[in-house]
Amino acid sequence: MSTSGLVKCVVWDLDNTLLRGTYLESLPGRPPADPALASLLAELGRRGIVHAIASRNPPEAAEYAAQATGCVFVAAECGWGRKSEALTRIAAGLDIAVDALAFVDDDPYERAEVGAALPGVRVLSPEDAADAAGWPEFSPAEVTEEARRRASLYQQRQRRQEAEAVFTGSHEDFLRACQTQVTIAAASPDDVPRLRELSERTSQFNSAGQALSAASLQALIGAPARDVMTVRLRDRFADDGLVGGCVIDRRQERVWTVPLLMMSCRAIGRGVIDSLLTWLAGGAARHGAAAVQVPCPVTERSVPLRLALTRAGFRARPDQAAGHDRVVFRCELGAPRPALPDWVTAPGET
Amino acid sequence: MTGLPRPAAGTAEADPVIADELRQLLATATGRAELAGITLDTPLFGAGVGLDSLTGTLLLRQVRQRFGVDVAAEDLNLDALATLGTLASFVGDRVAGARAGGG
Repeated sequence: MSTSGLVKCVVWDLDNTLLRGTYLESLPGRPPADPALASLLAELGRRGIVHAIASRNPPEAAEYAAQATGCVFVAAECGWGRKSEALTRIAAGLDIAVDALAFVDDDPYERAEVGAALPGVRVLSPEDAADAAGWPEFSPAEVTEEARRRASLYQQRQRRQEAEAVFTGSHEDFLRACQTQVTIAAASPDDVPRLRELSERTSQFNSAGQALSAASLQALIGAPARDVMTVRLRDRFADDGLVGGCVIDRRQERVWTVPLLMMSCRAIGRGVIDSLLTWLAGGAARHGAAAVQVPCPVTERSVPLRLALTRAGFRARPDQAAGHDRVVFRCELGAPRPALPDWVTAPGET
Repeated sequence: MTGLPRPAAGTAEADPVIADELRQLLATATGRAELAGITLDTPLFGAGVGLDSLTGTLLLRQVRQRFGVDVAAEDLNLDALATLGTLASFVGDRVAGARAGGG
């Protein structure tokens, strides 16, 4: 489950749900879109919730639905397999947890199948969905610039993945060929809404495992011996904006502690978390610290974060427990540090 | 250099059948068919296979589905992912252990 239980993507059935009628049976005509649901799609889109399709129809039906509703669908699963499997593939393709999905279908059988196979998914009838705009799980506290552009960012991400599939060369070469630019900088008060949103939405890449309020972020910016850092990401496909960040606690003289390290799942595989960890170790070493430590949950959800930490030279011992299911990953700064790639801009780096 | 959390994991000979299956899983997780031919001493991170957070997570998920071995739960620092050989030994030990224990 995402930290807050917010829905990130709604997966829609087409026949007699988004469409008023049955696509194949209406040919050569076309069933119109349900106007109430079409405006709900647009409203949720403005809140940064993206949409996808799971339909027992040929792929043309998804293209038609996009046209009829005037809405962007970031994924479409058209076929005759189980819808729970379609939802699993959609979540995997978007790098979000299955529990961050909602599913809307008029057919009680399909709803029961998805509900039984994927108990974390919010399963709704079209009638339920009509009220969804008022529910907390569809109502993020704040809608940032990044959120409004989310659907198009997912589309650009798909084009990037298609380009990588035909790219011959290493992943690092690919990031370079995409003109990837990672910018690490101290957070300003203007960054607080997006940082708060990230701390609420991130689940796989969130070392704190809980959201930070705008007030606490605000207080941390400029507090003595603390730093709040932001990471921005862009390449020739898209400007992803603010995709990650961390909080540094320097109150202990020789050890930097990072109570929060987070990154948007959308930025996975693009060098963001690795750059941030390399910079943290380098920055701490330059300030005379002997170690950087990151308390991190040890759960299945945290595997990508743990992989990034161990790749960056952090180690955890089972006895370094930091509460329930958490351990402290620690990077000793004695050894020579690897340099940041030249496409990373960061304070203190030349 | 810290060793593997359980000494047994690094010492066992890698089972060639398990290693072969892992090569297939690696090729699937990364989308790179040529990985089906890597040797046991090939590092899975860095220059060798170049696993990252994404492909590493996919691989561990497939290992759990195929062998019932939850590497992430047992191996805090994920040292089992050092090379194909260490991963094959880690999985092999636990598969054998489960067989012996389960009778």
